[in-house]
Amino acid sequence: MSEAETTVEDDPNAPVRFMQQVISLDYVVRTSPMNRYFGRKLRDRQIVGHKCPSCGIVYVPPRGFCPICVVETSEADEVEISDKGIVTSWTVLTPIHYHGQTEREDYALASILLEGADGTIGQQRLVDVELDQIRMGMRVEAVWAEESDTERGGDVRGFGFGNAIAGFRATEGPDAPPEAYEKHTL
Amino acid sequence: MRPVSIVSFAQSGGRVDVEETETQMLYPVVSEAIERSGIPRQEIGFTCSGSADYLAGAPFAFVGNLEATGAWPPISESHVEMDGAWALYEAWVRLQHGDVDVALVFSSGISSRGNLREVLCLQNDPYYLMPLWADHVSLAALQARAYLDASGAKESDLAEVASRSRRNALSNPNALLSGEQGPDELLAEPYVVSPLRASDCPPVTDGAAAAILVAGDRAREVCDRPAWIRGIDHRIDPHYIGVRDLSRSESARVAAQHAGVGDAPVEVAELAAAFSHEELILREALGLGDEVEINPSGGALVSNPMMVSGLTRIGEAFRQINENGRHRAVGHAASGPCLQQNLVCVLEGD
Amino acid sequence: MAERCAVIGVGQTHHTKVRDDVSLAGLLREASVRALEDAEMTWRDIDAVVIGTAPDSFEGVMMPELYLADALGAAGKPIMRVHTAGSVGGSTAIVAAHLVQSGVRERVLTVAFEKQSEGDTTWGLSGGRSGGVGAGGYFAPHIRAYIERSKAPEYVGWMVAVKDRKNALKNPYAHLKVPDITLEMVRDSPMVWEPVRRLESCPASDGACAMVLTNEAGGDRAEVPAWVHGTAIRSELGQFPGRDPVNPKGGQDCAADVYAQAGITDPKNDFDVVECYVPFSWYEPMWMENLGFAPIGDGWKMTEEGETEMDGALPVNASGGVLSSNPIGASGMLRFAEAALQVRGLAGEHQIDGVRTALGHAYGGASQFFAMWVLRSTKP
Repeated sequence: MSEAETTVEDDPNAPVRFMQQVISLDYVVRTSPMNRYFGRKLRDRQIVGHKCPSCGIVYVPPRGFCPICVVETSEADEVEISDKGIVTSWTVLTPIHYHGQTEREDYALASILLEGADGTIGQQRLVDVELDQIRMGMRVEAVWAEESDTERGGDVRGFGFGNAIAGFRATEGPDAPPEAYEKHTL
Repeated sequence: MRPVSIVSFAQSGGRVDVEETETQMLYPVVSEAIERSGIPRQEIGFTCSGSADYLAGAPFAFVGNLEATGAWPPISESHVEMDGAWALYEAWVRLQHGDVDVALVFSSGISSRGNLREVLCLQNDPYYLMPLWADHVSLAALQARAYLDASGAKESDLAEVASRSRRNALSNPNALLSGEQGPDELLAEPYVVSPLRASDCPPVTDGAAAAILVAGDRAREVCDRPAWIRGIDHRIDPHYIGVRDLSRSESARVAAQHAGVGDAPVEVAELAAAFSHEELILREALGLGDEVEINPSGGALVSNPMMVSGLTRIGEAFRQINENGRHRAVGHAASGPCLQQNLVCVLEGD
Repeated sequence: MAERCAVIGVGQTHHTKVRDDVSLAGLLREASVRALEDAEMTWRDIDAVVIGTAPDSFEGVMMPELYLADALGAAGKPIMRVHTAGSVGGSTAIVAAHLVQSGVRERVLTVAFEKQSEGDTTWGLSGGRSGGVGAGGYFAPHIRAYIERSKAPEYVGWMVAVKDRKNALKNPYAHLKVPDITLEMVRDSPMVWEPVRRLESCPASDGACAMVLTNEAGGDRAEVPAWVHGTAIRSELGQFPGRDPVNPKGGQDCAADVYAQAGITDPKNDFDVVECYVPFSWYEPMWMENLGFAPIGDGWKMTEEGETEMDGALPVNASGGVLSSNPIGASGMLRFAEAALQVRGLAGEHQIDGVRTALGHAYGGASQFFAMWVLRSTKP
């Protein structure tokens, strides 16, 4: 399936097939007021969610509105969320190399349903775990950044917990039964 | 064609350096447009939106914006990577089928997080033009020069447009810029790219807008003074600026012709002229004489949220009919360097 | 009442990893010229163009309709660009159909494309950040959930891969051709996003697909029109507590809508062929359930029992599907176009006998955007 490519090194008279042009554009990533509020709480090791005043669904992280009822939520709707929960789904990734990719080793990302939340937080790193030992329903707890001795600090993409939480590790206790996770695949 | 009207319009207004997410900026605007329409959200039969990934610097940037619309249960919804004016066009087309009566249109864009002059360079032919990094302001300057040379207009004519736009904007809380500077004062400013001065160019603007379209008589039940879309058309010119006459906008002329601008006198026109010379070119292309009031809102020159500007012009034309008792108005949208693509919409009150 | 709409021209490129013999414009023209020739039309006959493609960052061209206008004969005409994530090829065809059905335009050229070799798709998907998981990384947990819920045996995924790769051998335009493909080969291919293996995944392709759509008068004049009996699109919130991405409501609702329009009451028997968007092999059984062809939990049995093979009760992806060719922006339109080819009897070596009714299906985003159409050889 590989095309034979003549490079300039092979034959300077060969036709030019590709010219590489790297375009670099810089963007400012802004933290919204809601991000900052969530982040301030994380600094105090508190995970908060917002409970929709209309349907009662608890969103973590809070978005400032319930997208189902289309009503706003605010600090008045704040509820406390545990830093413990279960894995509802996961995958083990073999990193694909691309410009800017720093991941090199296989790693696991999971959707975590924290106690008190109605929805999962996706793409959370699982740490200190054998990649072939992960199960749905596995009990986990957050590894807060200060405790972690890993160099990389959590999620640099700004999703979920930012770099406040380095990942989730397995904890004691029997796996949760299917009823606990089957409706929380996402 | 089935008669379709705009019954409500809402806008965030021109802002800059917004802190909230695009979705959070959009959310109150969409809610307001729906509330003002008096039609329950569940009765919206089709939704169409406009936005651009490259403004956000992320792929699929529009997906998050679904959260501002209440897309549960799932909705019949589509998206164009274009100004919301084209989303409005798609909604108008959809409403012609007869099975759906109400459509929601919205668009958003945050331009202030990237360098817009660099970002828009990517709109050019990737092989021959993009590597030149010919930004949209420089290309606009080429068009301005071509126009001045061909028409005999002067830089002071450009300054008149800029001055009038800023003065109009004084009474428009949604405009980002406004001011009382006269043409002479603006003429004294240095060039940004000759012959364009800063006041001849639009400010980098963030914003969002939304509108509700209704087909048939229902419009009169929910709205005292709906604005009927009597004609709507869009056309595009060749991409390479060397193969067209930059002093004229052929695509705007043809779109206006097919939209029926010339069928009856126009009282007011909101033109998405982001640069001052563009207004003069568009007036000629659309055949708008001195009796037509141009851009009472101040237009895109003073407030230019990318992907929203065109929809806002149509929205402001709607407001002229709905709030100001005007009878016949034109809304215009543009896309691409040097007015490459143009959309013209003719609105009438009952 | 909506005007009738017919597909009278279909064209596509030879999809492959790198098309370094054509520019982006050239790629689209290749597909467009084939579609125009099939429709016995020239560029002049077209009165509107609708293009669709996935994120601009895949090629680094922002709003490509601006650059492509000249190449697509669109100067002086209306042109629009649709973007609905992975389903875009399908929704683009639907927007084009809307133009005809509304009576606003009579002959619309619609083109969808991706030239992935001119960018870096994984980088594009990552938003320029490290840790991008790619499409497979996102869908893998959903696939795992399906396998767990349905208790399907692991070889079902391999069977779909073998079927689609064998079908591709009969499609001159398909990208990936693995003539000696076997279940063992799929089973032994590297794991990429657990539980998805490399040979169960789609390739990254350069490719374009084009169609010419016209009204009733135009369809009547054509030798073999494919008549549009229904079109539907749905979007669903991507993330909220309790959402089911395995059997999404958006997909169910979209199917119900298009079936109602087309008078489909027994999908498995009413359709003669299905072209459905399967980028990772397990999506075949998942969509069989979501589209109502099999009861929930039993979609995998259709695969296991050979029902989705070319000689089965309901051939799925006789073209080789997305697993064989995946120019992302075009993939949805390829499904719609292959459905048209089947109905028109023009699918060549991968033609299924006696096709009268076909389904074209596309999905995208977080399994949240759906586009579908139903075509028949007879007028609605």
